[in-house]
Amino acid sequence: MFSSTFLFCDPISGERMRWLAGVIGTAGGQEHSGDTGNVKIFLTGDALFSLVDARTRPAWATLSRLPSVLVIADGDELRLQGLADPVASGIPGLRITGSANRESFWGELVSSLEKDWPGTRSAAFLLCTSPYMSRVPVYMLRFLTCVLGAGLHPELYCYLDGVHALHDGQRPSEFENIGKGVSALSGNTVRACRDPWFAACSRCATARGYYQMNPGTGFCEPASCIQDIAIKPLKEILARFSGFHPIASHMGGWTVPAGDGKEGVPTLTVFITHPPYCSEWTFGGLSLAIAAAMDGISTNVVFIEDGVYALQGNHDVPDNDRIFNVQEMIAVTTDIGSLSYYVHAPSVADRGVSTTGNLSLVREASDGDLSRILFPAKKDPAFTPAMRMLFF
Amino acid sequence: MENTNAKDFSELTCTNLMIKLKILLNKLSPGDTVAFYATREQVDNTCSPFSGQGYQVTWTEVAANRYLVRIGK
Repeated sequence: MFSSTFLFCDPISGERMRWLAGVIGTAGGQEHSGDTGNVKIFLTGDALFSLVDARTRPAWATLSRLPSVLVIADGDELRLQGLADPVASGIPGLRITGSANRESFWGELVSSLEKDWPGTRSAAFLLCTSPYMSRVPVYMLRFLTCVLGAGLHPELYCYLDGVHALHDGQRPSEFENIGKGVSALSGNTVRACRDPWFAACSRCATARGYYQMNPGTGFCEPASCIQDIAIKPLKEILARFSGFHPIASHMGGWTVPAGDGKEGVPTLTVFITHPPYCSEWTFGGLSLAIAAAMDGISTNVVFIEDGVYALQGNHDVPDNDRIFNVQEMIAVTTDIGSLSYYVHAPSVADRGVSTTGNLSLVREASDGDLSRILFPAKKDPAFTPAMRMLFF
Repeated sequence: MENTNAKDFSELTCTNLMIKLKILLNKLSPGDTVAFYATREQVDNTCSPFSGQGYQVTWTEVAANRYLVRIGK
């Protein structure tokens, strides 16, 4: 028996829906292990369009009919996007939050995580997108506010463009002020006798000008930053991953076996879903995964969807280009014992590409293999106490 | 005195510096050396451990928290 919860805020393509439905459907039925599981899928933001899109709606209808799967849609966001009526009538079994007698979407998510992670004292959000260009920071504030409301310690890990949340002097004319929101949450947390643990990755902050070298001391100092988010090395942020608490993100989730989940450090599965070089997603996801594995956290990296392009051909970085060769990163880290690399075979087949033969330690994985990785049965040697999943 | 051939790795995380050094050292011929700038924390956490893997690691402080590191095969 296990409990699994997903939070999806980003668009869900037909391709993603296919493999998710395969993996979650298999886990919900536990065809491979005989164990039973409860899977809750929380949808908000752009992910809600997948409930009405003809390319993805049938899969949601199928999943929501499974007795072990509960799909929960953010009613406020559905109404904002004009989706409330078609969604309510189109998918039987779907739960829509926010009506008169129901808990809010974020309150329901927090109630769910308290059941999934019994005894947890905190809950975290990994923020990877910047305020205003993305609505995810608004969701982060709503989530962490509910975390505090439940008497837990809120934790915020700002990574990649998520570090822009710490910029001092934010003054949006139309949108919710994220900087002020974080400061208010921090103050409320202290007043409630809880500890806010709000941090931003020093590498990401340095790259974006928020952490500048003082030539006199040789050390970096925060520049134009709100005081409520501390800039820390990624290693310190990842040290929090050793704790028994949930970490939500814009796309991700967790699986916790019933009863004995508190034993051991939760494992981590990172999905690389973007092409390798024209955004920071692949490098950021790989960096985080490798650093976690080097700190002893058992970590899987799954190249999936457009992420499989990281493994195609042989990458040759020009001498004048300052960018990490992703294939070289993978090649020199396959000797890390706690790190496993996988490539999703259907994603490779769909694109008609072939992956490089130089990376033979990257194992092919089918949907069934992914299901076994994400929801290992107790008798499985890969069984782990709890697993966190993050999409990059 | 700055060594113009040495790259500045002082802003890499310890993990990414380790990856960068493994990539560079894999391509290094016997007798050759990699030279770069690093912070004290990087020297202690990432550079020094390479001495236990058959490499010769030396460093010189050139400014506050700035070290010129050389790793040779």
